[in-house]
Amino acid sequence: MARPSMLRRTIATPLILSALLVAFALVAWLAGSRPFNQTVIDIFLQVIFVVGLYTFVGNSGVISFGHIAFACLGGYVAAWTTIKPMMKGVSMPGLPDWLMQLEIPFWAAAVAGGGFAAFWALVFGAVLMRLSGIAASIATFAMLAMVNSIYSNWTSVTAATSSVVGIPIVRTVWPYLIAAIIVVFIAWAFAISRYGLALRAARDEPTAAAASGVDIPRVRLIAFVISGAIMGAGGALYAHSIGLVTPDTFYLGLTFTTLSMLVVGGIGSLSGAVLGVLILSSLIQGLRWLEAGVQVGASTIALPGGVQEIALGAVMILILMFRPAGIMGNSELTGRIARTEKPGEPGEN
Amino acid sequence: MKRLTAILAATTCLSGAAFADDERIVVGFATAETGFMQAYDKPAQDAAMIRIAEINAAGGLLGKQIEVVNADTKTDRAEGAKAGLSVIDQGADMVVVSCDYDFGAPAALAAESSGLISFFLCAESIKAGIQGVGPNSFSASVLAAVQGATMAEWAYNKKEARTFYRLLDTWTEYNKGICDGFDWMMPQLADATLVGEDTFLNEDASIAAQITRIKSLPEEPDAIMLCTMMPGAVSAIKQLRAAGINSMILNGSGVDGSYWLSAVPDLSNFFVPVQGSIYGDDPNPDVTAFNAKFKEVTGGDPSTQYTYPGYVMIDVWAKAVERAGTTETSAVVAELEKMNGEPTLFGPRTFTSELHHQNQARYLIVETNAGKPGVVDEWTISAPIPVADLMK
Repeated sequence: MARPSMLRRTIATPLILSALLVAFALVAWLAGSRPFNQTVIDIFLQVIFVVGLYTFVGNSGVISFGHIAFACLGGYVAAWTTIKPMMKGVSMPGLPDWLMQLEIPFWAAAVAGGGFAAFWALVFGAVLMRLSGIAASIATFAMLAMVNSIYSNWTSVTAATSSVVGIPIVRTVWPYLIAAIIVVFIAWAFAISRYGLALRAARDEPTAAAASGVDIPRVRLIAFVISGAIMGAGGALYAHSIGLVTPDTFYLGLTFTTLSMLVVGGIGSLSGAVLGVLILSSLIQGLRWLEAGVQVGASTIALPGGVQEIALGAVMILILMFRPAGIMGNSELTGRIARTEKPGEPGEN
Repeated sequence: MKRLTAILAATTCLSGAAFADDERIVVGFATAETGFMQAYDKPAQDAAMIRIAEINAAGGLLGKQIEVVNADTKTDRAEGAKAGLSVIDQGADMVVVSCDYDFGAPAALAAESSGLISFFLCAESIKAGIQGVGPNSFSASVLAAVQGATMAEWAYNKKEARTFYRLLDTWTEYNKGICDGFDWMMPQLADATLVGEDTFLNEDASIAAQITRIKSLPEEPDAIMLCTMMPGAVSAIKQLRAAGINSMILNGSGVDGSYWLSAVPDLSNFFVPVQGSIYGDDPNPDVTAFNAKFKEVTGGDPSTQYTYPGYVMIDVWAKAVERAGTTETSAVVAELEKMNGEPTLFGPRTFTSELHHQNQARYLIVETNAGKPGVVDEWTISAPIPVADLMK
């Protein structure tokens, strides 16, 4: 019997993940609560960031601490291109004239943010992708520090550490949902592409892959640019979700949140990336509700403030204790999990 | 403390989960209950709660009791936006946001886009208002620039200071704001000269290089304008005095409070502008009475003057609502903008359609002498700082 094509065998994964995301969006829409709606928007943004990170880290096996720098680049593109020209003149007087007069819709800013980040990913990546292992990781971290310190000090173009306000706020959940779904499909398409397969081969057996003709720096660079573009678009959308950007939003805090979501979900799995975000975000939200207080009969039961952070840490440790490779490990949601778990039958590899 | 919790609990329960309607008057606090901003937000919020309790005890506002709803920003910007939306959904007519512009802005922007009034608890940047949020946003405090300008003019007139040295910690907008006000005032003081200027960073362990430059001046300057804030301020002051520089040190309100004075024993010739005195010697006995009430409710004295803007905020907002006869945003904003020298417990307040902040204010001058702070004078700058100079 002929093996079904790669596409047909794996298409279930992005479809299932998209269905999950749509379910979250529907819950937000039906709940009709604006803070909850904002929470779901935040979750979709995290999905974009973590899937962006997965596209590089998951396929190449090189841990990157620098991807949030691309989100920063994208976020500031949104500020440069969508704030009203008059307000830009006050906060960022050093912008070139054509950029100063530019006012584009938010989705175009997201595309532009992705493009700008992809360009810089190409420039940085051309150098960084020649490194491997911990050296590559530290070099990406250096890139993050570099971008952060440029954006924190270039007063006339980025308003330095001051918040840049006036970015039009988009508070409906749908654009973020669509972006998250597109990103999931991009990540999936890359993973099953010729380059994605070559990169994973290089991750698992670098010597054998190189001997089989895989140009490792080149395939890594392709992944780096694609994931940089995703992060850039995510950064621009992030800016539109709260209406302002500062360099320290896109620094260590977000770097470690996204990395830990990826690790908990399963570093080598697209499903893990999405599930890591959905599970951890739901947990955070649940604990926040408990912190704010739950009405039980006549009395309100509330956890002391700060418990959320502690409980989150404990849960992450527990997950990694019992599933060291993350919730999903290296496997994907295919809709056929039940069958593969039956003893005596060969797994789906 | 217990009483405050009781008030909070009572008002929160009353508010329930119902949506906004005209039958209720709700103040929403989208402030930090956890994280480092909590240290700034909590005292001002406690003071606001005291004013709300007073108004409610006196029959309420427009005949209704003011209710309170809360949401925690967790000292995080993205959470701040959610907290803002959360109190708006709970029916807030006015949204109170974090002290600092950067952390309060997301919630204020949420209020602005819902057409509601927002008040920064104690932000001192011009951006906390029309310029950085929109036409319905206000700040309850006084611009940092006014503090620098006040100290320069007061020292010139009352202490005969003629030579000034400007030492700026470039860490925050607040610090730069103080020095901007000082820079604006200097040219207006005949025969006052700036004999030197220097910068440092709040986290610098040593400012020895800066001190060497001050020491190498032919004469010690009469006054050093020190534009900095906690925690770096303590170390800078300590090093200046340890180096034998005895010039008077002028500061912004950020170093108010006696909690850090033990780190610089017997500090003298040290001046801070404050909106009200926490030391029990305010010329207005009502302020001292407020301090006692604050202690009764929260269990401790106010630790800095940044407690007071919270009280002023509810005070001016409630007056505007009373005069407008409604909590409807445009009517209340119009009434607030009519306030010109409106008396409050902590000095007169003015809002205009151009500026929702104070560019001129009465300040009490607190002198620390041999380690003991106390009010020695009060000063109002001779002219308001023009908005154009504040925007640069």
